[in-house]
Amino acid sequence: MAKKKGEEAELDSALERAADLLGRARFPVIGGLFTDIAGAAAALVLAEKLGGAVDHAAGTGLSRASRVMRETGATPASFGEVRNRADTVVVIGKGPLERDPDLIASLFPAKLGLPRPGDNKREVIFLGLDKVRTPRHVRSSSIRGRATLPELVALLAANVRETRFDIRDKALRTKLDRAGERIRNSAFAVFVYDSAEIEEPVMHTVLETVRHLVLTTRAAIMTVAAPGNGDGVNLCSTWTCGLPVRTSFARDVPEHDAWAYETDRLLETGEADALVWIDALEGEGAKRPKGAPTVVLSSIPGRASKGDVVIEVASAAGDHDAALYLAPISGIGMVKAGKKNKDKPTVADVLTTIAELIDARNA
Amino acid sequence: MLIQLKGGRVIDPVHKRDAKGDVFIEDGRIVAAPKVREPDEVYDVTGKIVMAGAIDMHSHIAGSNVTLGRQLMPELPVLAAEGGQPIEPSPAELGTFATGIRYAEMGYTTVIEPAMIPTHAIEAQIELASIPIIDVAGLVILGNDDYTLELLRGGRAKGDELKDYVAWTLHHSKAIGLKVINAGGSEAFKFNDRTFSLDDEVPAYGVTSRAIVEAMQKAVADLNVPHPPHVHCNNLGIAGNVDTAVATIEATQGLPIHFAHIQFYGYGNEGGKGFSSGAPTLMDAVNKHKNATVDVGQVMFGQTVTVSGDILRQFDGRRSASPKKWAINQGEGNGTGVVPYHYKSKSFVNAMQWAIGLEIFLMADDPWRVLFSTDHPNGALFVRYPEIIHLLMDKDERVRWLDDVPEASREFSNLAEISRELTYSEIAVITRGAPAKLMGLNDRGHLGAGAIGDVAVYTEQKNKTKMFAGADMVFKSGDLVVRKGKVVRVTYGRCYHVEPGFDPQIKRRVKSFYDRNYGVDPSWFGVSDAITNRRDRFATIPLSR
Repeated sequence: MAKKKGEEAELDSALERAADLLGRARFPVIGGLFTDIAGAAAALVLAEKLGGAVDHAAGTGLSRASRVMRETGATPASFGEVRNRADTVVVIGKGPLERDPDLIASLFPAKLGLPRPGDNKREVIFLGLDKVRTPRHVRSSSIRGRATLPELVALLAANVRETRFDIRDKALRTKLDRAGERIRNSAFAVFVYDSAEIEEPVMHTVLETVRHLVLTTRAAIMTVAAPGNGDGVNLCSTWTCGLPVRTSFARDVPEHDAWAYETDRLLETGEADALVWIDALEGEGAKRPKGAPTVVLSSIPGRASKGDVVIEVASAAGDHDAALYLAPISGIGMVKAGKKNKDKPTVADVLTTIAELIDARNA
Repeated sequence: MLIQLKGGRVIDPVHKRDAKGDVFIEDGRIVAAPKVREPDEVYDVTGKIVMAGAIDMHSHIAGSNVTLGRQLMPELPVLAAEGGQPIEPSPAELGTFATGIRYAEMGYTTVIEPAMIPTHAIEAQIELASIPIIDVAGLVILGNDDYTLELLRGGRAKGDELKDYVAWTLHHSKAIGLKVINAGGSEAFKFNDRTFSLDDEVPAYGVTSRAIVEAMQKAVADLNVPHPPHVHCNNLGIAGNVDTAVATIEATQGLPIHFAHIQFYGYGNEGGKGFSSGAPTLMDAVNKHKNATVDVGQVMFGQTVTVSGDILRQFDGRRSASPKKWAINQGEGNGTGVVPYHYKSKSFVNAMQWAIGLEIFLMADDPWRVLFSTDHPNGALFVRYPEIIHLLMDKDERVRWLDDVPEASREFSNLAEISRELTYSEIAVITRGAPAKLMGLNDRGHLGAGAIGDVAVYTEQKNKTKMFAGADMVFKSGDLVVRKGKVVRVTYGRCYHVEPGFDPQIKRRVKSFYDRNYGVDPSWFGVSDAITNRRDRFATIPLSR
């Protein structure tokens, strides 16, 4: 079903109007991208055809993590490895638990079946946030103070490396000393953070700490998954064109720039003259920016604005089975639809049809 | 539609054919010369070489491990192009679309992805499905996963459960065969071990690498899977490791086994630099053990990135990273290590690696058991294949390259003394006939009636690099997809896999294992037809008997 100016319209008509709008556009951006892998793949094909850009609503964190990876690499561990084998988990900031309130319960089940290195009692250290309730078999502590989160990360990193430093807050010093010693003596310490919460220099500090620890023991990072299948969309972009989201196809070779190809900036500056906004994941919603004629692909079209070309689509994992990034397997898995609805087209169907219509007009 | 390729020199070693003649294609298949019908299309290929489409049996082109490499090194195509490698300076060149295009241009029509992670098989298969033109298949990795290790705890397999588990894993990931990477070594790394050899025991499980490989050999043989276990040995890349390789070959007990990128295990430790060619020793063992096949993993000079499930080795290799960055992903089973690397012609060790690979090719008694690969991208990017074919077919070309490497490399290798030049038929064996036979893909790798209509036509010339860089014509399943070295039609191929069958109880046991230890349902990572909208994407190949 498709709507324009609040009136019912046939899907074909909406697709034609979408093709008109995008075919005329000089530099469209395909944003939101709350969709499954098939939807992301179709969006990349359309963006390349149009010479536009792709971004994701969680693109800020995804781009930070991508840049850090490109610059220095990374040392991630899968969720399953952390759950089964980490003896020390350092939760950095509030982001991880805001993204996944059940994180602690999932990482620390009552009984572990797989062997793990060392014999330390498992422990979680909350850095920059108060302790939350943890299972009885898990020791926990919190490191807070007047210091900001980046300062706390830097202080803990210095302590882990036994670098000399002075701070006036003696209580904080004691906590840092204890945490540093615990981490140095861990068989497998893992630092958990949300790339959307901490800036790149902080990520570098954490990664350097891990690189120091692995000289003698085992250590890793684990990032919490981005909303809206952001990790899945980002991976799809990478295997398709070699670059993460916030990539432009306006020139001969694709170009990634986390600042230049951010949806909000492109719309605010008028650099993008059309927007394709995709918001079609079961149970999640993306906040839509304004500023250009828009084709909205939404599973909840009520979120659209007046004047948009609106195409109601099936929700991934709600109306149709969907390949999505799944945190428990730290990779892409298949989610069965809760209640299949074959009447509505998928994001991939709609974007592919728009691309075909544009091809036909250009033929 | 009946197509005739008329008057070319047809090279088809499977049918012992090397003579001027015709090849006919109809409805996507090779057919015998019709007695009365006139062809609908005739291509005059006089003076050209006609071969079956090439098959790459070991090339890392898809999956979460490969994409980790793309994330770390998007600049790789730019650096490679700057260094003179035949690649466009665009990050997209190592993306899935360009992968299919470049392979097709060289006359390749089937490629095997050799390292699918079981829990990430969906990503691997989605990536493979987005590669145009070529047919594909994947090998799935076991041997460092806790389910296998639990079954082999203390070196004791429990009845047929390992066999059922292997069969279930092949089924669940739609794989064509089994890969074993540094058996037990990645798990040992998780317990902070930094070295691991054939008879070392995996901490907490008490099982050796040797026992894991033997158990997998038996399981795969019992299941009648055509491709034997595809083994990446311990101690990759270490001086003196030829002893490990020979010991592993001798431990195979006569059962079929394939050793991957064997060049990386052909290292002696003689001479003042403690590094020498072990190729003669290695090839003596390979030539004697008829149950063993190998692919070479040829090194070429230039920038690349190494991607491997051998995280123990990759962690050690991080010190040689160039540029200075690396990624170690500690996941279920093997995990992945990614380390950028620049092979330099002026480096003694790199020049030795290059020479040892060529020695292995040229010392093979039986080219049907010594197959072509660079372990893309680990030894070299796959776009370098034409240069390697040139080196194998032209001893003068080898002399030219040898002039550019350190004198010590010439001294401690044997390449300069080898005058053998591979023939077109031998090239067709190591790039077509042998990989097809080894993978159980009996409908390709040759030009006999009934074979798939995958044909590559090359314009014969002395410069084999130029000759094999761009095929004059390539037919994929009977469709003309390449003309004059450029893709003229984009099609999509199929994915081949085995279905050996298993006791259904294994599904319940595996489900319980994943639920208990990971809070995960295995259905989340099971590959189904739904991963693409192409109905005929997957095809099952017959078992050995």
